Amino acid sequence: MRFGRVAACAGVTLALVLAACGDDSGDNATATTAGGGGAATTGAAGGGGDCVVGVSWNNYQEERWAKFDEPAIKDAVEAGGGSYISNDAKSSAETQASNVENLISQGAKVIIVLAQDGTAIIPSVQSAIDQGIPVIAYDRLIEDKDALYITFDNVEVGRLQAEAIFGQVPKGNYVIIKGNKADANADFLRSGMDKIIADPVAAGDIKIVGETYTDNWDPAKAQTEMEQFLTANNNDVQAVLAENDGMAGGVVSALEAQSLAGKVPVSGQDGDQAALNRVALGTQTVSVWKDARELGKAAGDAAVALCANPDAASVSGTAAFTTPGGIDVSSILLKPQPITQDNLDVVIDAGWTTKDNVCKDVAAGSVAACG
Amino acid sequence: MTTVEVPDASAVTGGTPPPTRSWRTALSSTEVDTRLVGMIVSLAAIWIAFHILSGGAFLTSRNLWNLSVQSTSIAIMATGMVLIIVSRNIDLSVGSLLGFLGYAMALVQTDGIFAFFGISFTAHGLSDKAYVWIIALAFGLLLGALVGTAQGFIVAYVGVPSFIVTLGGFLVWRGAIFRMGDKQGQTLAPLDDTFQLLGGGAKGNLGEWKSWLVALLACAGIVLSIVLARRRRKRHDLGVRPLWVEIGLAAVGCAAVLVAVGLVANKYDSPRTGKPTGIAIPVVILIGVTLLMSYLARRRRFGRYVYAYGGNPEAAELGGINTRRTVMLTFTLMGVLVGVSAAIQTARLNAAVTNLGVQNELDVIAAAVIGGTSFAGGIGTIFGAVLGAFVMQSLRSGMVLLKIDSPSQDIVVGIVLVTAVGIDSLLRQARRQWAVGALVVGLVLSAVIIQSGRP
Repeated sequence: MRFGRVAACAGVTLALVLAACGDDSGDNATATTAGGGGAATTGAAGGGGDCVVGVSWNNYQEERWAKFDEPAIKDAVEAGGGSYISNDAKSSAETQASNVENLISQGAKVIIVLAQDGTAIIPSVQSAIDQGIPVIAYDRLIEDKDALYITFDNVEVGRLQAEAIFGQVPKGNYVIIKGNKADANADFLRSGMDKIIADPVAAGDIKIVGETYTDNWDPAKAQTEMEQFLTANNNDVQAVLAENDGMAGGVVSALEAQSLAGKVPVSGQDGDQAALNRVALGTQTVSVWKDARELGKAAGDAAVALCANPDAASVSGTAAFTTPGGIDVSSILLKPQPITQDNLDVVIDAGWTTKDNVCKDVAAGSVAACG
Repeated sequence: MTTVEVPDASAVTGGTPPPTRSWRTALSSTEVDTRLVGMIVSLAAIWIAFHILSGGAFLTSRNLWNLSVQSTSIAIMATGMVLIIVSRNIDLSVGSLLGFLGYAMALVQTDGIFAFFGISFTAHGLSDKAYVWIIALAFGLLLGALVGTAQGFIVAYVGVPSFIVTLGGFLVWRGAIFRMGDKQGQTLAPLDDTFQLLGGGAKGNLGEWKSWLVALLACAGIVLSIVLARRRRKRHDLGVRPLWVEIGLAAVGCAAVLVAVGLVANKYDSPRTGKPTGIAIPVVILIGVTLLMSYLARRRRFGRYVYAYGGNPEAAELGGINTRRTVMLTFTLMGVLVGVSAAIQTARLNAAVTNLGVQNELDVIAAAVIGGTSFAGGIGTIFGAVLGAFVMQSLRSGMVLLKIDSPSQDIVVGIVLVTAVGIDSLLRQARRQWAVGALVVGLVLSAVIIQSGRP
């Protein structure tokens, strides 16, 4: 009897040590559960319902995934009768490859991947699909014909930015501050803008008096660029299309130095706290907002649907999407939402930010959402 | 702008040489730094070229005023980088540290939080106080000095190569931004109204009469320093420059300052008030830093030790210089200067963002090197580095005016960097023809890139 107890203790200890080792080496990442409660679903996967959804995060350290995306995915999966497991690749493409395999060995029936590197992950994704496990490319594209691509429509973001600005300035001189040239999103956004402004540009109503890419989407660089465009045009600029909120901040500072802030409409995206405050103050016209929770819910619902029928094209709401690499994939492209002074209550009611943050220094009575 | 026309460097046209002398002996009798003169000439050439290419948009008071503000952050850090490189080290951490210190200063203003890694202390209500800006600034400079000293200590006393230490710092400080005050890298804005003045902007400038006052003081300073230097050399029985050269130097220096203030700073009308804008506050800070650093490098014992050590470390050590302490202090100084630049950049942007200062280390090193600082150690001037920063920013601003995309801008700046150092190195070896060749190759390459990059 005594020997048996010692052996059991030793066995448990050994298991713990091995688990700890696996944790350290990182390529055998342990499952994390939503809310960080530590209620391990690892190994218990088989008994957690038939539809086990495994999520491979590329970097869980970033605030957004833990705060908005994961709870939404988890809620949607559990509402559909499934169970949720996940692991974190800590920004390493190699770790993510083995993490996907780990999820499969833990019994995942559907895998959601937030890719660290959309190309390097292809072999793992393909191997999962070959084993009959459908894969969802979450937020970032994976160039694999069988993976279901779920993201916000970046072309639509650009279109909404241009639409909001064009609504205020149908004629005049435009400056366009684009993001990093190496980032495909910069060009997606720009092509969306053209859906609104290409015709007026051709007709001569809108003149683009300055257009540039910005290294690293750097707000300070965007500020310098804007100063130079204002100088070159002797302040004869009526509207600015900035592709994100950070750069919009740089643009607004440049405009402020010329006492033009609030007079020249500026666009942005992301729903940054500082940008939403600028929208309330009137120095930025629009921030196109992509609600991460909506994305999470869409992915969770799609995962549950894929459990029943692994064919990606069968999921409701999918459409064909041709990737930059020329592959046709099934995709769900969500509509982003433009946030202007008139609908600031949307982000506040959704709990994305607080009224205090949005309404800082806003004169009472000037903006409806601020009271 | 006044810093560009440094008094002892502008004597190319100083006075009329007596007919018996050739121009070369006349030039050498002025004892001005010919490298510095060369750089001023190059800067002038760049300005004129952009003025013509942009159809007259470059040499306007407004553009030059912009240029003066846009250059300050890099220029201030470059003055510190000179001493680091002169003492045979390098600092790769300045860009990350700038982001870190900027974020730390903003956090004090927006939330009253003093944060350093995991340690943070919250002063409730501080962010509403009128004096919060000076506390934030002091905290940033102190933190910069601490970080600089720590890095310098590891370099000088532990003996880890500075490349490694500051490469570590490059990673650490950028990463640390995300762990400050539970903000997880969220953009911090807006900043305190008074703090914003440090960045220039709509209100951050001296106005007309104060700018003239600065110009007159600068003029008096130039004359006084020439008089004092002459007296000092006489006292030590050293040869003095001919009187006409001294008077010429003073006249050119004064004229340059007055032109910069009269035709640039006070010619540019403030878009807010319609009155002359005057010198921007960050530029005033840059002038102060440049003079102080130059004094430190040339007149104080510490500065001389740095150059002595850079010229020959063994000899300096044997000569009884506390070389470890000297090296450590160069990093301390660098940390403080990064703090100054961080304040200016965050104030200018009126926000602290996580990617503030990305790649600034490269711009700062490039400015110091274009300004004639040698990686072999012992050679480099503060004025040169400031000029180098102006050359870099002139290229960038000029290319934006010509609507050239940022990737092409990087190519041109890279070519200019290598060409400038190549010419310098060839001239040191007295290979004049090769130097001319290098200049032509560099110019042609840049011209091709600029021309093909134009929309």
